Amino acid sequence: MTTFPPQPPIGAPGQWSFPLPSTSTLSNGIELLTFDQPGQHVIAAHLVLDLPLGTEPRELEGVATLTARTLDEGTRKHGGEEFAELLETEGAGFGIDLSLSGTQAVLDVPATRLDRALELFAEAVREPALADEDVNRHVTLRLAEIEQSEANSAQLASIAFRRAVFDPESRGARMNGGEPDTVGGITPDEVRAFHARHYGPHGATLILAGDFSSTGDPVALAERCFGDWTNPGQAPVQHLPIGPARRQVQIIHRPGAVQADIRLGGYAIDRFDPRWPAITVASYAMGGAFLSRLNAVLREDLGYTYGIRLAFSPLRSGGSFAVQGSFRTEVVGDTLHRLHGLLDVSEKPFTNAEVADAVTYFTGVSPLRYATADGVADQAATHVLAGLPHTYVDSNLDALRAVTPDDATTAYAELVDLNALTLVVVGDADLLAEPIRAAGHPDLEVIVRD
Amino acid sequence: MTAALKLDYPIVQRTLDNGLRVIASPDHGVPSVAVNLWYDVGSRHEEPGRTGFAHLFEHVMFQGSAHVGTAQHIALMQAAGAAVNATTWFDRTNYFQTLPTGGLDLALWLEADRMGTLLDALTQENLDNQREVVKEEKRQRYDNVPYGDVMERLVELTFPADHPYGHTTIGSMEDLNAASLEDVHTFFRTHYTPSNAVLTIAGDVTAEAAFARAETYFGHLPNVPAAPDPATAPLPALTGVPRAETTADVPAEAVYLTWRLPARNHPDFDAVDLAFSVLGQGQTARLHRALVRRLEHAEATGANAMGLIGGTSFGIAYARARDEVSPETLEQDLITEIAQLLEEGPTEIELRRAKAQFERHWLHELARIDSRADALGEYATLEGDPSLINSRIAAVNAVDTDRLVTAARTWLAPEARATLIYRKESA
Repeated sequence: MTTFPPQPPIGAPGQWSFPLPSTSTLSNGIELLTFDQPGQHVIAAHLVLDLPLGTEPRELEGVATLTARTLDEGTRKHGGEEFAELLETEGAGFGIDLSLSGTQAVLDVPATRLDRALELFAEAVREPALADEDVNRHVTLRLAEIEQSEANSAQLASIAFRRAVFDPESRGARMNGGEPDTVGGITPDEVRAFHARHYGPHGATLILAGDFSSTGDPVALAERCFGDWTNPGQAPVQHLPIGPARRQVQIIHRPGAVQADIRLGGYAIDRFDPRWPAITVASYAMGGAFLSRLNAVLREDLGYTYGIRLAFSPLRSGGSFAVQGSFRTEVVGDTLHRLHGLLDVSEKPFTNAEVADAVTYFTGVSPLRYATADGVADQAATHVLAGLPHTYVDSNLDALRAVTPDDATTAYAELVDLNALTLVVVGDADLLAEPIRAAGHPDLEVIVRD
Repeated sequence: MTAALKLDYPIVQRTLDNGLRVIASPDHGVPSVAVNLWYDVGSRHEEPGRTGFAHLFEHVMFQGSAHVGTAQHIALMQAAGAAVNATTWFDRTNYFQTLPTGGLDLALWLEADRMGTLLDALTQENLDNQREVVKEEKRQRYDNVPYGDVMERLVELTFPADHPYGHTTIGSMEDLNAASLEDVHTFFRTHYTPSNAVLTIAGDVTAEAAFARAETYFGHLPNVPAAPDPATAPLPALTGVPRAETTADVPAEAVYLTWRLPARNHPDFDAVDLAFSVLGQGQTARLHRALVRRLEHAEATGANAMGLIGGTSFGIAYARARDEVSPETLEQDLITEIAQLLEEGPTEIELRRAKAQFERHWLHELARIDSRADALGEYATLEGDPSLINSRIAAVNAVDTDRLVTAARTWLAPEARATLIYRKESA
């Protein structure tokens, strides 16, 4: 017979702060943020351009994505496949990320090869060839990618949800990579013109993170690669607001689907709203933790789903939130019915314990999340894109620690209006339309795609 | 060529009296610690008619134990600031949490409690509930996704039905339905023993403190002999080009080729892995250049080797067709490229590139204490030596053109493949 030791207490967490960058300005005005992280042998370089997707002309949506995807398909110095060969031979990974807030080019490379890789990275951004055949191929590949996305139930639900929740006049309502009606008509000339008009040093930030002990001075390297970049024709950028759409309740018919993907939510706030810390805590308690109110009942008690969550997704200004999950067809009606009760906090405000657990969770996972070069560089890029200060992570954690249960309940009740939720379901409408209507959504619209 | 970095992550090992292997890897860079347990049990250890058990069991492990309530493992860990999860694969089931150092004792206590007393708390109700959750997982990740059944079809083509790798980890729903509480008890007693596990503690704790705590929380568990691994003599190469076709609601037609490859610890494996990298990894890979760029027959291509420990691994090359291109054309394109690589070998620069890409991938894998702890557990469990994580880059860099060509000709011959084709449902 063995004796089990008693459950041990938890010791106080150690001191931790998000690292502050060394800042400098290259001779052409590019802001340089450097994070020195000993032991991080893979360097992350993020070039953040003040180039939000809203910059695309309505009739050319997708042009920003096609431009970015063609950057590493050859440069004026190293044409065709030669460029990618050079970059990959340095062990480098090149990526791009486009959002409603801005554009990033990302380089990951072992520190021992940073010098040459950063030169090539700069070459791709500054002087890509954007050749006809490469652009045209990326148009075809983007169209194929859209077909793949729309064939995937969860992705289709997310595409339909953004269309239902953001102002249809705004860029936010449509896929980041553009939709078939505009992508299909984009020409290589338009891609080259987009690059010429919008890629330049003005408003750009370069972020370098990792262990520079073997690389030489990162500031000098950045100056050598980017300091003489000019573009007198670079157009000024406007960040257009993205507002809400009118409420919608719809099912997208997917005949024979064995599960339905549910998105239930609405328009919401950004990180500058004073309620942001409170809603962060509230949404974790409602649908972020494993034993959140939603997952505890719908997964752990009832076995209806592999997982359900509630998440708030901030934009630079405004944002959205959604309850999301996949449910087997037979239980969708009951799930929606139960959600109305579970999501209502008027009789069941958030508790001290729920708030305390949320705060220790967010505080506890931060050191790990930001332990690597790419983790730090990615967060620093988020700050730049959202217009937040370098100290945001620490100040946000302080603000989370100050949230009371009342704050969480009040913010939640203000932001999650149970009578105004937009619902998107992707599933078999023949089987689901009636149960969804009966679960309190009589205004359900059935959408049949061709 | 730039010299690769020499890695020297600290690794200290000790085995408790009950057979539990403990690995400590101190790293005081951040005030966090990773607690990672690899159990030497995966879908390859499942009995016929009992497929999907290892994975169902992974779910059951979160349903409480003698001193821990249902689902409280994750709840207590998240409330201590932990990122926590578990996965099941052909060769393993791993459980992991990474959290502020002050929660190390609690993490170890929770893992020890379920290793020692899981069956005290397991009820029919918990088992039934998690069976439903697993069915939802299968619907969400496999049944309701285009090409979601690809892995199942590929292993069925590549391995005999009764081979340990002849079925996927998600298993058959009929088998899961048949699982009784008694089956689950037997599975636990057979595989969830201290001597069948590796505990890795990486992060902000000294090796001595890590071992002392491992002793405190796990030392009192009894030593139970571990179940032997299934007998897995290497399979011979495929012959006669086995073929399968399926017609499905997929957005593009596709072709997948598979091969039987050497086990992950076989001297040829790294060379074969590099050959797959030259063929199918990155934008300058041969398949992408030929099928996507030059011929414009494919919208996507790829190739990779899946390393397994039980005698035989497998490798895949695939392409998804652009409109108007038949899967048969794509299959021929793939074979042409593979035959050419076998015939002439990689260029010097291609080999260098594949090694450089491996180096970045591996450095990235070791950059965080959680993935580093997992790599330590992996190499200790499957290859008996966690210190291999420090020498992987050197081992891969040691493969020269001759070794790659010889290995590729041995294992990757077009006539030793199997072929799976996806056709679109006609409108």
